[in-house]
Amino acid sequence: MLFRQAGIFHTDYSADRALFPIPADRWMIGSLLLLALAAPLYMNTLYLSSYLLPWLVWTAGALGLNLILGWAGQFHLGYAAVMGIGAYAAVHASRAGIPWEIAIVLAGITAAVIGSVFAFAALRVKGLYLALSTLALQFVMDWTISHVPAISGGTQATLQAPDIRLLGWAVTSDAGLYYVALVWCVLVTSFMLNLRRTALGRALVAVREKDYAAAVIGVNSFYFKLVAFATSSFIGGVTGAILVGTFYHAVTPEQFSVDVSIQALAMVIVGGLGSIIGSYFGAAFILLMPGVMNSFISWAATKFGFSLGIETLAHLPQAFYGALIIGFLLIEPLGLGKIYNNIRDYLLVWPFGYTKK
Amino acid sequence: MTLKDRGGDAPVLECRSVERRFSGIVALNGIDMCIERGEIFGLVGPNGCGKTTLTNAITGFYPPQRGRILLNGRDITGLAPHYVATLGVARTFQNLALFNGMSVLDNILLGRHIHMKPSVGRTALYWWLARGDETLNRAAVEDVIDFLQLEGVRDELVDGIPIGLKKRVELARALAAEPSFLILDEPMAGMNQEEKEYMARFILDARDERNVTVLLIEHHMDVITGICDRMLALNYGEMIGSGVPADVVADPRVVEAYIGGAHATR
Repeated sequence: MLFRQAGIFHTDYSADRALFPIPADRWMIGSLLLLALAAPLYMNTLYLSSYLLPWLVWTAGALGLNLILGWAGQFHLGYAAVMGIGAYAAVHASRAGIPWEIAIVLAGITAAVIGSVFAFAALRVKGLYLALSTLALQFVMDWTISHVPAISGGTQATLQAPDIRLLGWAVTSDAGLYYVALVWCVLVTSFMLNLRRTALGRALVAVREKDYAAAVIGVNSFYFKLVAFATSSFIGGVTGAILVGTFYHAVTPEQFSVDVSIQALAMVIVGGLGSIIGSYFGAAFILLMPGVMNSFISWAATKFGFSLGIETLAHLPQAFYGALIIGFLLIEPLGLGKIYNNIRDYLLVWPFGYTKK
Repeated sequence: MTLKDRGGDAPVLECRSVERRFSGIVALNGIDMCIERGEIFGLVGPNGCGKTTLTNAITGFYPPQRGRILLNGRDITGLAPHYVATLGVARTFQNLALFNGMSVLDNILLGRHIHMKPSVGRTALYWWLARGDETLNRAAVEDVIDFLQLEGVRDELVDGIPIGLKKRVELARALAAEPSFLILDEPMAGMNQEEKEYMARFILDARDERNVTVLLIEHHMDVITGICDRMLALNYGEMIGSGVPADVVADPRVVEAYIGGAHATR
């Protein structure tokens, strides 16, 4: 690492609880933000709008799921359904002429209301039983969306999403759409960072760790589980709306099917439960790795001159990708975020590895 | 603030013929207990006699089927555990119930939960809505950390500290809530003599400096006789003796329950 922690002293409690108490960390985050802001200047539009943008939106989504899974410790196998609710709500609202900035808030609220009404029933059970009831949310939403023409626009239909207008300006350029995604991702990230140092975040962790001990210090576990479901559904709903508005530009039921729920779950678990930077890594891994693997195998096939059947070529990357996930989780069950932290902790005291962090 | 100021003259805790059954088993039968303000009240009895069931009845985990429980004169029978906590009852557990994935500091901060207003809005707008409150509560927590001499392990994960300190952290979490009534379920289990003495001193100081009334469950008779003002002995869910410790531990029925009939007759 580029810095040492030695010599940094905090003289009041709010400095001690700052998001980044170490000045070097603040510089790093600041430069990363600048790099992100300047991305449209140095990155070609293909990378910007087909890699960077979905990565940011999915990271926001993964963080929302991480809130319920990593913080409150409640399973959620229907997260894509929640995103779908938001996406459809926003598309319908903006087709009805409601400004987009209000439409996405409506999308979040719709998702939060449906999500928490559902959670109200589902939270009567715990653990794996809760996981199965949230899976029911997924199937109920899939069915409702595809069988109610008023929502889906007819069987097998694709609803065109109107162009985004923010405060009267049409946002259609790649850079503009990218900034929408960036702002949302930064907002969600700062919320999650704050969650680490506020009473709400601590109460959620208390519910996750031991619910009877939470009750003894006055934490109403049912209420906080409900708050977690509502908040994560809000984030999921807005993320779904932004995903459709900035990336897909049209909405179909398959975009938010059960596979997508599993994919979101994979992002959180591979990234690390309860880890914010892990959600960034997890989303990148799940989104990019299949493509990377694909090109790697094609490259290897031509380089070393072995020929692969079209069938093998289609499945081999998937197999490698699966093996990589298992491999990472074997090395560190707490995911990529924890691997990053381990490396960071090691480098912080390098070469004096015997000292305490 | 003197001890008398916290809620008038009513006893801090009063149990009136409390009864709790688990299907056929009578875990508590007709328990009457009255704990006055500022007392350290001992609760003893052999394993399985109902001590922990009684604390669970008071804190709302297993509400009694019959009888009433009053806190500062207010009926709290059958209230949910998290609600009982907001009324000023704190407890520690025999087998520890700390949040292992969190630091010592965050565990104790959680003790302040009932004094804070956790909400999504305050989290999102931390800089404007929550920072002041968090700082004030942090100061209150640091006070408790000083009081229990936990400065050295403040930033450690709870998982990684020795059991004697964990017990102290749990006491700190309970005290951080500024309770009027504190239930300590075997706070000295598994401790050596020195750690026991430390803990006894902390309990006495908590009573004197932080105005709490204490219900102390303990198997170490030297501790009970040493620091308790009054005590109650249970056996098979029945009261077998209550009063000043010196009298109760001399009671033949208590001796019989604890160390067997042969000794009681000597």
